Amino acid sequence: MLPVVVVHGGAGQIPKENTEVCCAGVREAARSGYSVLTSGGSAMDAVVEAVTMLENNPVYNAGKGSVLNVKGEVEMDALVMDGRTLDSGAVSAVRGVANPTQLARMVMEKTSHLCLTAEGASKFARAMGVPEVPEESLITDYARMRWKKLEPGSNPVECQIGKIGTVGAVAVDVEGNLACATSTGGILNQMEGRVGDTPCIGCGGYADNQIGAVSPTGHGEAIMKVTLSRLILFHMEQGKSPEEASDLALDYMKERVKGLGGVVVVDPKGTWTARFNSLQMTWAAAQQEQLHYGLYHGEDFTEPI
Amino acid sequence: MKPVIVVHGGAWAIPDTLAEASVAGVKAAALAGSEVLKRGGRALDAVEAAVRMMEDDLVFDAGHGAVLNTDGEVELDAIIMEGETLAAGAVSSVRNIGNPVSLARAVMEKTDHVMLTGRGANLFAESIGVPTLPTDALVTEEERKEWEHRYKRYTVGVKELFNSQWGHDTVGAVALDSFGNVACATSTGGIRNKMVGRVGDSPVIGSGGYADNKTGAVSCTGHGESILKVTLARLILFHMDQGRTASEAAKSSLQFMRKRVQGCGGAIVVSPKGDWSATFTTERMAWAAVDENVLCYGLNPKEELKESLK
Repeated sequence: MLPVVVVHGGAGQIPKENTEVCCAGVREAARSGYSVLTSGGSAMDAVVEAVTMLENNPVYNAGKGSVLNVKGEVEMDALVMDGRTLDSGAVSAVRGVANPTQLARMVMEKTSHLCLTAEGASKFARAMGVPEVPEESLITDYARMRWKKLEPGSNPVECQIGKIGTVGAVAVDVEGNLACATSTGGILNQMEGRVGDTPCIGCGGYADNQIGAVSPTGHGEAIMKVTLSRLILFHMEQGKSPEEASDLALDYMKERVKGLGGVVVVDPKGTWTARFNSLQMTWAAAQQEQLHYGLYHGEDFTEPI
Repeated sequence: MKPVIVVHGGAWAIPDTLAEASVAGVKAAALAGSEVLKRGGRALDAVEAAVRMMEDDLVFDAGHGAVLNTDGEVELDAIIMEGETLAAGAVSSVRNIGNPVSLARAVMEKTDHVMLTGRGANLFAESIGVPTLPTDALVTEEERKEWEHRYKRYTVGVKELFNSQWGHDTVGAVALDSFGNVACATSTGGIRNKMVGRVGDSPVIGSGGYADNKTGAVSCTGHGESILKVTLARLILFHMDQGRTASEAAKSSLQFMRKRVQGCGGAIVVSPKGDWSATFTTERMAWAAVDENVLCYGLNPKEELKESLK
């Protein structure tokens, strides 16, 4: 059953013209993550590789292609977590870096801290020699078009129709170590400095070798209120399968705080699931030389790797 | 429902020189919060009042009295959460705000978001008329001297043993009101000589605090990075979901944190039935609680002193 990697390209409602490329991107990311794992790489290497590819792909709301905040600027959040030690790294509201997930990993590995925010995160990136990229290079025509279409004073929560969510990945390597990574540009028209669930440990991701790993996507504020990732793992600690635990927690989030979203989850044995209560979620999983993927509820297409 | 409030002034090796002022500070804050509850106020108002009082108290590392980061600046984190709707507000790395807990509450009540960070949080403060204070207004002379003396030299990219060396800490409060609502609030200046932009556990929902009318409210303190790794507040409430008492849940979660990530800390907890606890694995934690007409407080392990308020 090991190794395994599962990735998502965001829950929500994907505009028709992007469906094909969004589905192709997650398959490609899962393949890359899987090839890291089969060549002996760690779960952490695999999730960072997969999420980096999604960040570099302009159709997703992370890295290049991020949505714009109320001022038309890009601010990104990312989180990584290593299930062996519970070590974790995160950046919030960071600007001018191409791959926030790699920066989050550096926070984990090179500092005594877990999360760096805003200008402090950029300052750390410079100190580590991470190249600063111009904001323009992160902004796609599509992102600018959607931002320009907004009425002045648009409500950031109500203007998420056509939103493409956060990206993320979870993996178990051949040694049985788990990891997760999540990356996002946040929500369209968010206030400057808004931090969503993604960089908040237990909300935007969690990994523990003893229980499982989760990366979620969806309405960030709702995910935070129920600490979605940790909640799913609590259910798994009580003996629920990844699928049962995900459905329980997503139902609870919908009922208690009226939020929709989706998750990818693995347990230490390699049992995996991709669940969502939004209309769609692009996801792909690689295990035992098979690639699984889907977009709508109930879909699980397979092809050999 | 009998109202209860519990507050803490941080879990760490509080030196004798600060012991008396710390205990006096948490007692005053618990009484301030209790007054709100006695007048029929909500748990949310009570925890905000108690935390504001400690933010204004120079002895605590939150608001006035905060520690300095590597650049000699003040950056503050805070969260507030109410258990009825799970609504929450937080600010991280906000500069030079006297009462970050009230700004966190404004994020909860006046925006669609849960958390604002850095300059964005300061811009929001300005937009709603919250004054930004000069650094000198928040930093004590002792803190400035300590920072200049011991910490000025620092290299980025070198791991330091913050876990055993950090000084000062977070303040927080949890409350249960007469309507059966619980709430929590936590506020901090972080750890001395932290990197610019470092966010600890305090503003992170489920780590620095959590409140749910169905299970209870928690505010945490201690080594932030360790608290984050185990999402301590949510972990304690998960144990309470499984039928543990406030005290058992806090103890087993803090023990887990020590065992799994070698971190020490403390937590205050209140359940919707009024079961409460103040627990820590550090050398000391200043805490106080008002339950019925008794003020309980302590500083050292297993210490629980009582004063009648009649």
